[in-house]
Amino acid sequence: MNIRLSIISFLLLFSLVSKGQDHLTLWYNHANNLFNNKLHYDAVTEYKRVLFFDSTKSYHYSANYKIGESYKAGAKFDEAIRYFSFAELNARDREEIFQTKAQIIRANILRKTTARAVQLCDELEKDGRFVDKRDTINYWRGWAFMFANEWQSAANSFALINPSHELKLLAERTEKAKVSVTFAKVISYILPGAGAIYSGKFLSGLMSLGWNALAGYWTINSFIEKRAFDGIVVGELVWLRFYRGAIRNAEDIAIEKNLETANKSLRFLQNEYKGIKP
Amino acid sequence: MNLSKIQEIFSAQSKNYLILFALFILPFTISLSQISSDNNLLSPKNRLKFGDYLYKEKDYLRAAGEYKEYLKTSNNDTVQFKFANSFFKIGRFIEATDNFKGLFFNSLLSEEARLMFYESNFFRNNFKTFRELADQSNYKTVKYHDEIERLKFTTYFFDDAILPDENIILKPFPDSVQSQLSQFYYQKKFPKQKSITTAAIFSAIIPGAGKIYTGEIGDGITTFISTALSAYLAYTNFNADHQFRGWLFTGLTAFFYGGSIYGSAASAQIYNARIRFNFENEVKVYFEQRDYFLPKIDF
Amino acid sequence: MMARLLISFLFITEISCAQTERVKWESQQVSYELPALQHHYYTIDKSSFGLSILSVARNAYYFFISDLDGDNCAFSPSCSTFYLQAIKETSVFKGTLMFADRFTRDINFFKGSGHYLLLPSNKFFDPPYNYTLHSEKIKY
Repeated sequence: MNIRLSIISFLLLFSLVSKGQDHLTLWYNHANNLFNNKLHYDAVTEYKRVLFFDSTKSYHYSANYKIGESYKAGAKFDEAIRYFSFAELNARDREEIFQTKAQIIRANILRKTTARAVQLCDELEKDGRFVDKRDTINYWRGWAFMFANEWQSAANSFALINPSHELKLLAERTEKAKVSVTFAKVISYILPGAGAIYSGKFLSGLMSLGWNALAGYWTINSFIEKRAFDGIVVGELVWLRFYRGAIRNAEDIAIEKNLETANKSLRFLQNEYKGIKP
Repeated sequence: MNLSKIQEIFSAQSKNYLILFALFILPFTISLSQISSDNNLLSPKNRLKFGDYLYKEKDYLRAAGEYKEYLKTSNNDTVQFKFANSFFKIGRFIEATDNFKGLFFNSLLSEEARLMFYESNFFRNNFKTFRELADQSNYKTVKYHDEIERLKFTTYFFDDAILPDENIILKPFPDSVQSQLSQFYYQKKFPKQKSITTAAIFSAIIPGAGKIYTGEIGDGITTFISTALSAYLAYTNFNADHQFRGWLFTGLTAFFYGGSIYGSAASAQIYNARIRFNFENEVKVYFEQRDYFLPKIDF
Repeated sequence: MMARLLISFLFITEISCAQTERVKWESQQVSYELPALQHHYYTIDKSSFGLSILSVARNAYYFFISDLDGDNCAFSPSCSTFYLQAIKETSVFKGTLMFADRFTRDINFFKGSGHYLLLPSNKFFDPPYNYTLHSEKIKY
C-alpha cells in the first residue's frame, strides 16, 4: 500500500513539474527554429525568454550557448563571447566546457583578435582536462595564425594534426608564394627599381630605374658644369625623391603582393573550403 | 472477516487516500489552472515580467518589443512610459516623443511624460523647434516648468540664435552655477575670433603674416620663406638674363603670394570654427556632467 | 572556483562595455580577407569636359611620377587629389589658390601641432571643403 502510494505521489509530482518543462522545451525548440531560419535577433529574444522562465536552470547552458552563436552569426563578437562565457559558467560537463571555450576562440578569430585566440589555445592545451582535444586545439590555433597572416606557424599547427592535412598544405603553399620584403628593399638600395621587378611589377621597376638614371645624369651634369645650386636642387628634389620612392615602392609592392597571396588563400577558405570554419 | 477488521481496513485506506488528496491532488488541481496560464510565455503577465527584466538589463530594444505586445491587450501607464523610455534610452528620439505624447492626458504620469517629451525633443538637436515647442501651452508641464525653462535657455548655447539678455538666460539656473554660465554666456556673445579681412591684409603686406596672426606660426614662416626665396630667385635670374627661369620663379612667387593671402583668410575661418567647436564641446560636457539639470525619472 | 570567479569578473566587465542594440540586426558574413594597402585610383571625372581633362592629367601624374616617388604627402587627401577636388568644389582660379596654400602647408616641416586630425594611416586629414571660404562648409 505504502509503495503504491509512493509511486502515485511521485507520478503526480513528476507530471506537475514536467508540464512546465514541456512548455519550456517547446519554446526552446521554437527559438531553435528561428535560429535555423537565420532570424538571429528574434532567436536571441526567445532564448532570453527561455532563460528568464527557466527556474530549474536546465536550459541555462544550451540557451546561453545558442545566444552566443546567434550573436556570432550577426558579427557581434563582443556579445557572443559574453554569452559563451555565461554558457561556460553553466556547463555541466567537460565536453560542454570545451565547446564553449572553442567557440570563444572562434569568435576571437572572426573578430581578428588573433593574438587572444592563440593565447586561449595555449591555455586550453595546458589544461589537463582536454588532453584528448589536442587536434581541435591545433586546428583552431592554425586558423588563428592564418587570420594573423602567419602562414608558417599555421602550417606547423596543422602538421601536428596530420602531416598531410589539407590546410597544412595550403598554408605552406601560401608561405612559399610570398616574396621577401627585406630582400626587395635591399636590392632597391643597390639598384633602384630592382625590388619592384623582383616582386613582379616590371613596368614600375623600369620606370623607377629610368627616373633615377635621368635624375642622376642631370645632377652629375650640373656639378660637372659647375652649376652647384642646380645640382643640389635637382639632386634633392628629383634624384633623392625617386631614389627614396623606389625603396619605399619596393617595400609596398612586396607587402601588397604578399597580401594578395594571403587574401587569395583566405578567399578560398571563405568560399570553397568544405571543412569547419570559425 | 469480522466487521471490526473490515472497518479497520477501510479506515486505514481512507486515511491514506485522504492524505494523498490533501498533499497532492488538491494543490495539483489548483496549480493546474495556474500552470496553463503560467506556461503561456506570451501571456500579457509573462510578457510584462520578461519586458521588465530586459529593461533592467538595459536590453531596451527587446524590452520595447515586449511592452508593445503587452500594451495591445492591457492599458498601463507605467508600461507605456517605460515603452517610450526604452526608445529614449537607445537614442530613437522620434519614437520616444510620439509615445510620450500618448500619456499627456488622463494619465497619472502626464507631467513626467511631458518632461520626457521635451527631453526627447531636446536631444534631437533641432534647438529652434525645441524653443517653439517649449512655448506651446498645450504641451507645458506645471510640475517641471523650471526644468523645461532651463532646457530652453540651454539651447541658446548650442546654436546661432540671438542671445537673450544675460539675466533672462541665467534666471532658471541654480546659484551655484551662475558664475560659470555667465562665463559661457560672454564667451558665446563675444567669442575671441580672428578677422578674415585682417588676416588677408596682413599677408598682402608681408606674406605669411596673416597666418602668424591666426596662430599658424610654422605655416606663416614657411610661406614667407618660400615667397621670398622664389622672388629672390626670380630677381637673380632676370639679372643674369635667364628669361625663362626668371619668369618661372616669378610665376612661383605669384603662386606662393596668392596662396598666402587666400590661405590666411581660410586659416582665420578655421580658427573661428575651432573656437566655436571647442566652446560647444566644453558647454556640452558641462551640462552632461550635470544631467542638464534634469531630474532622473525611472521605475 | 577561481576560474568561475574570474569568468564572473570578466562577464561583469563585459556587461559594462557591451553595446546597446539600437536596431534589429540581420546575420552578417565577416570577410576573412586582410585589409589592402591604400592605392591611387585611376578614375576619370565625367561631370564636365574640363574636369575630365584634369582627371586624365592627374592620372598621368599618378602613373609617371606619383606612383614612383613614394608616399610623400603627409596629408589625406594627397595634394593632387586635393587640387582636383578643390577645382570641382569651387573654380580653377580658386582651386589653384587653395592648392597653393596646401602646397605651402605641405612643405612646412612643423605641420601638425594639434591643428589637424591624425588618421589611422598616420596622415593629417585636410579636406578641401574646409578651405572654400564658406564657413558653413567647415567641419571641424
